[in-house]
Amino acid sequence: MMKKSNTIYKALYTVALLFIFQMCFAQQEAKKVTFNGAARAQFFGDRYKLNAAEEDTITNAKLNSGNTLVDLGINIRPHSNMEIQGLVRIRNDYGGFWGAGVSFDVRQLYVKGVAGGIVRYQLGDINYKLTKYTLWNNNQEIISNTPAIFQQQTDVVNYDHFYSNDNSWRQQGASAEMGLVFSKYVKELNFYGVATRVKTSDFGQTNDRIFSGLSIQMLQSKYASIGWTATNTFDIEGTSRQNSTFHQPVVTMNANFKIPFSSFQNSIDIEAGKSGWFYKNLDAAPNLKGQFLDAELLSRHKATGIFGSVQLKYITSEFRSTGAQTKRTNYDAVPVAYQRITNNQDLRQITMLDLMRESSLYNMQLQTKLMAFSPQYDNITPYGDATPNRQATIIKLGYNKAGSPLNIESLIYTGSEVKGEGTKTFRTFRRSDTRAQLDLSEFRNDTTRVAEVSVSYRNDKTTRAGTEAIPSVDLNTQVWSIGADYEWSKNWHVLAGMQMISYNGFDFKNVRDQYGNIYNFTEMKTDGEEKMWALGIKHTFSTRSFLSIQYYNFELKQNTTDGQNYNFGQWMLLFQIKF
Amino acid sequence: MKKTAYILLGISLLAFWSCKPKDEFDGPDLNDIYGDFLINQPLQISDDNLDFANGEVSNVTVGLSKNVNWRLEITGLQSGAKKIATGFDSQIQYTWDGTTTNLPMFHIESCALQLTFQNQLDTLRDTINVSSLRALEGFVLADFETGLNPGWDPFVQSGANMSFTIQTNNQAAQGNRYYDMGGTVTWDWLIGLLHIPASAYGQTTLPLDENASNVYFNTLLYKPESIDNGLVLFQFREDDNGDGVYTEGSEDLFSFQISPATEGWAQISKRYDQIVTLINGNEGAPIGNGLHEPNKIFQVSVLFLANPTSGYSQAYLDYMTFTSGSPVNP
Repeated sequence: MMKKSNTIYKALYTVALLFIFQMCFAQQEAKKVTFNGAARAQFFGDRYKLNAAEEDTITNAKLNSGNTLVDLGINIRPHSNMEIQGLVRIRNDYGGFWGAGVSFDVRQLYVKGVAGGIVRYQLGDINYKLTKYTLWNNNQEIISNTPAIFQQQTDVVNYDHFYSNDNSWRQQGASAEMGLVFSKYVKELNFYGVATRVKTSDFGQTNDRIFSGLSIQMLQSKYASIGWTATNTFDIEGTSRQNSTFHQPVVTMNANFKIPFSSFQNSIDIEAGKSGWFYKNLDAAPNLKGQFLDAELLSRHKATGIFGSVQLKYITSEFRSTGAQTKRTNYDAVPVAYQRITNNQDLRQITMLDLMRESSLYNMQLQTKLMAFSPQYDNITPYGDATPNRQATIIKLGYNKAGSPLNIESLIYTGSEVKGEGTKTFRTFRRSDTRAQLDLSEFRNDTTRVAEVSVSYRNDKTTRAGTEAIPSVDLNTQVWSIGADYEWSKNWHVLAGMQMISYNGFDFKNVRDQYGNIYNFTEMKTDGEEKMWALGIKHTFSTRSFLSIQYYNFELKQNTTDGQNYNFGQWMLLFQIKF
Repeated sequence: MKKTAYILLGISLLAFWSCKPKDEFDGPDLNDIYGDFLINQPLQISDDNLDFANGEVSNVTVGLSKNVNWRLEITGLQSGAKKIATGFDSQIQYTWDGTTTNLPMFHIESCALQLTFQNQLDTLRDTINVSSLRALEGFVLADFETGLNPGWDPFVQSGANMSFTIQTNNQAAQGNRYYDMGGTVTWDWLIGLLHIPASAYGQTTLPLDENASNVYFNTLLYKPESIDNGLVLFQFREDDNGDGVYTEGSEDLFSFQISPATEGWAQISKRYDQIVTLINGNEGAPIGNGLHEPNKIFQVSVLFLANPTSGYSQAYLDYMTFTSGSPVNP
């Protein structure tokens, strides 16, 4: 009881302080202190049904959960070149009246500004990205390009984990940027620097671990730019009793050229680099040296809006990049909702429904080892563009023209491993992916109201020839989705969507040791299907706030011996406002 | 600028073209996990009648369909000596030079060869005949094959069940004889001892290398079953001043003691410069010049000790040698 009271008092005390600050600064100068933030209320009503011969008599069929929260931020501008932002989150879980279930967190705190009119700096919580091979927060698989109705829950997870649309990582540290402008030969020379702490010393066997990055980008003209980027994840010796220190440097060069040709707008993007992964004073750890090369030629016909690209990739199996290979999804975690099911109370496997709504499955810290992944969901690019051990040709073709209601893009990925796993024979990968979006508002009288249909289809295939003794690899994944967002009356939307994943086949999953070396393989036989459809209504109060009520139906069917078969029905009420 | 872009694109394409897939793989070989186990090339022994004294060796080869953990055992049918070799290969190529893994050493005898594979039922067997023994390098201080050297000076307490005799039987670690030290002495730690002076070999000091870090003292010790109280103390007296005698209290006496831990024969090897001065069982300051000078060893003594309250004690001693460069390889 004492703890609950303390939490409430803390919350009230902070809110009061924020108001006092607001009043003090407001009296001095207008807009020196502003409030910002967001508020959200989200409620789930789940209904679970096991589809098996034996009825599940142990697991509760219904489960209600939810929370209400306020992210209250205060933005202080002591002078024109400095900004201080603090954001506190007060969250009350569903059923948490009178302080029970209330949590109170500092969600964001930073100082940023311009020093001497030259160096732009930020201290504290920073969002940062560099290149796709050095520091890049890749989107989570399966649910990143879903119909609008599914996107609402994904957006909530992304917001809670600071996953921005610009693929930056939220870290705690410092960044500094500066630029030089020239009158001849070179237009601009920009410098970017970042340093964040990714692990804290325990003063015993764990050293402080730092991620640092430096990038120099030279803009020669509007047609050409060349850059150099280096990152390093390293332990600071002496911050614990551990003598061995970890080091993971990555150095890359990148270039971009824009080459107009007739009515075509062409561009070339190239990035190449190398990486290291080693421990000092630890003989047992491997010393990995990797390389990569990525070049893309993109051409766009200005008049018709048709575009196409050819991309070539070569990434060795030893290439490691802490900043670019860390996954958002932690597949070693387990879902919180209905964590155990069936009469045996088996752990429930992660599904796309969980990926869409389960906060507990997501990671916010850079990882120095390759994280676990789900081959069923993505066996080809589990670590995004920087996925190691890949050589591939990616061909894209699409149509995207301003003012046109149709937007379509197709991709064909054909590749293989660079180095075999357990055999000299390489796995081969083939992906075909098509997405289309049709804006039907053009065909209505009121073109300001939304009427959109989206369709997507992805087919992944992994194969590797076997021998008489070694089973061949043949893993197939298909993902398709269709969604609609129809604003039938001003600010009133009907949303509908369906997404299905089917996977079947066989592959070997790597078992890696503490240093990431593969020391064993486990067999993975899979044959299943996940289906999710949803229907909902959304009312938008403004561009920054909405209320949405939705019903989801999710079905998992697995035809393997340890497969799980069940249905979820889910009601969700979501209110969200950003201010 | 266009030119630069095309050059860079060309370089990139050339780089892609030069990016070769690797002819190796990560992780364990799947063939070792899933492949059928077949003996593609039967067990072959290059020489099954080995004249080790003339430097003959025998090559054992087997070809398998996949890498497996294998274990080769060559057992002397008379001595019980064992040579054990292990590995993880698909092409087994092992060379036996007559050395032993588990003492005793091999005799002139027939040996059984057995090759087994982890998680496989197959066992390959054959026999090898040892027609002569390999010559061991080093200065042999005592192998007891010809009895006690008249120049040695044994002392045995008048306790109960005292042995301190040379036994002749198949239990010898090397050859057919060993020194049996045993008895019960209730009033003193010392049960018996054997002084081995250099004069027993017609020398004032032992004929050894002067570089102490290059000289190893070796012996083979046997702990009988259920006897855990024995202590064997080895002492090395140096004639530091070269006057032909050892002067107690003014010249170096280096020592080490062993309490045989595991039952059966064990090899004890010590680099001479690592042998210290012991005072009442603890390391102490050197008595003489403090220099380890193996070429000045005047006398080696073997003392067999036991706590007087602990009852009967026994240990066997065989094949005391000094070797150069490395411990003896029995």
